Amino acid sequence: MLSVNRISVRRAQEMTLQDISLTLAPCNTLAVVGESGAGKSTLISTILGLVPCASGQVTWQDAPVRQCRPALVMQEPRSAFNPRLSLYHSVSEPLNAVGKEMDQHRLDRLCKRLEIPRDLLWRRPTEVSIGQAQRVGILRALIGEPPLVLFDEPLSALDAVTQKHTARLIADLQSSEGFAALIVTHDLGYAAAFADDIAVLRAGRIEEVTPAQNFVERPQSDYGHQLREAAFTLGALEHVG
Amino acid sequence: MTITALGLSATRSGRTILHPTDVDIKPGERVGLVGASGSGKSTLGHELIDTLRAKGQNVAHVPQSPDEALDPLRSMAFHWKEAVQALGLFPNAARQQALFSALRIEGGNLKKRPWEWSRGMQQRFVIAMALIETPDFLVMDEPTSALDPVVAADTMDLLDRTLAGRSTALLLITHDLGLAARRVNRLLIMDAGRVVEDAPTDQFLAAPQTQAAQALCAHRNWLELPC
Repeated sequence: MLSVNRISVRRAQEMTLQDISLTLAPCNTLAVVGESGAGKSTLISTILGLVPCASGQVTWQDAPVRQCRPALVMQEPRSAFNPRLSLYHSVSEPLNAVGKEMDQHRLDRLCKRLEIPRDLLWRRPTEVSIGQAQRVGILRALIGEPPLVLFDEPLSALDAVTQKHTARLIADLQSSEGFAALIVTHDLGYAAAFADDIAVLRAGRIEEVTPAQNFVERPQSDYGHQLREAAFTLGALEHVG
Repeated sequence: MTITALGLSATRSGRTILHPTDVDIKPGERVGLVGASGSGKSTLGHELIDTLRAKGQNVAHVPQSPDEALDPLRSMAFHWKEAVQALGLFPNAARQQALFSALRIEGGNLKKRPWEWSRGMQQRFVIAMALIETPDFLVMDEPTSALDPVVAADTMDLLDRTLAGRSTALLLITHDLGLAARRVNRLLIMDAGRVVEDAPTDQFLAAPQTQAAQALCAHRNWLELPC
């Protein structure tokens, strides 16, 4: 289980995260929603160990989280890759970092599930569509079989149909691969449809953590209410509620 | 004034990215231009704007990225002044204040340059510039893509209030049919550089005809996805 235990993070004299506690069980999905500047990306960087905590700790199965080598899927699919390397090279990197060889059977299986033609991996990131690049980003995250995958706005660069298709691919892979997913997103519709729990982050603090189904019917916090109303106004939750 | 343009088309590197297209929009009409990434929506928007401006029509444009509208070397105050002067108006502090507070950017420092504001604030500043007066035609290209959902919803509501009762025609360009369907009374669906459907919103949602349109309809809502 991922356990974020009372972490606070200070950046440039300001507290960007204050006393955050969250848990995420293996195979489950936690969506973190909130406005720009609420600290969502800082939370991801902190869980990855890229930003030190002023206090508190982050563990996976009671060991420091870094030991489980969590993977990251980034927001901008094309700039998430080295533009001078083939996608295959970038996908191999997480394995090279731990001295492992590419398991071609696993690569074939994941490519098939993610609808990535094997030939595509010999192209560079600028030579594929954004939707394809994001599916390769997911491939890179999953190739080393991490138990925990962090997604930073994984769908926001994609169009509406591709967003939903990609969300379904992530969810299907999660049930077969069994990773825990922490998804940072603006999109309450995505969170409501695919997460087990929704955490609302605002101004560096957790306002509520609520099961997704209950959140759509009755958010607990004021900002949760505002997000729900906005999702209706923007047509993301049209037929529910 | 009716918005009419005939035979709009575009090619890039010898490839046709917009096939000859006619557009006809009535005063006050709200039209959504919806399609997948790369289907030619923004290209049609740009071609239409260029053609209408060449005919002397008053067209306001909110581009997909605020970078297209704001000069990184000029202050926000300069941009505002320039926009007001371009419309042949005198500065109106009350109108400016009303727009800024409705779009929640009244706290922005106008002496700063665009890149010193957040993307969301830059985008709302560009929307405010487009709403300084009542244009004949307002083209908004993915106006909410850089905004938080709460701010995006407020912005769309402000747009409805601002346009209510005016003769301004609106073209809302978006990949998101869920967003467009709530705001417009007519939909143009684009696929591979062509407008493949043109129908009133209700009629379109009840019976999309083409494959591209059916995919958009089936994926318009997160909680009712097809299996």
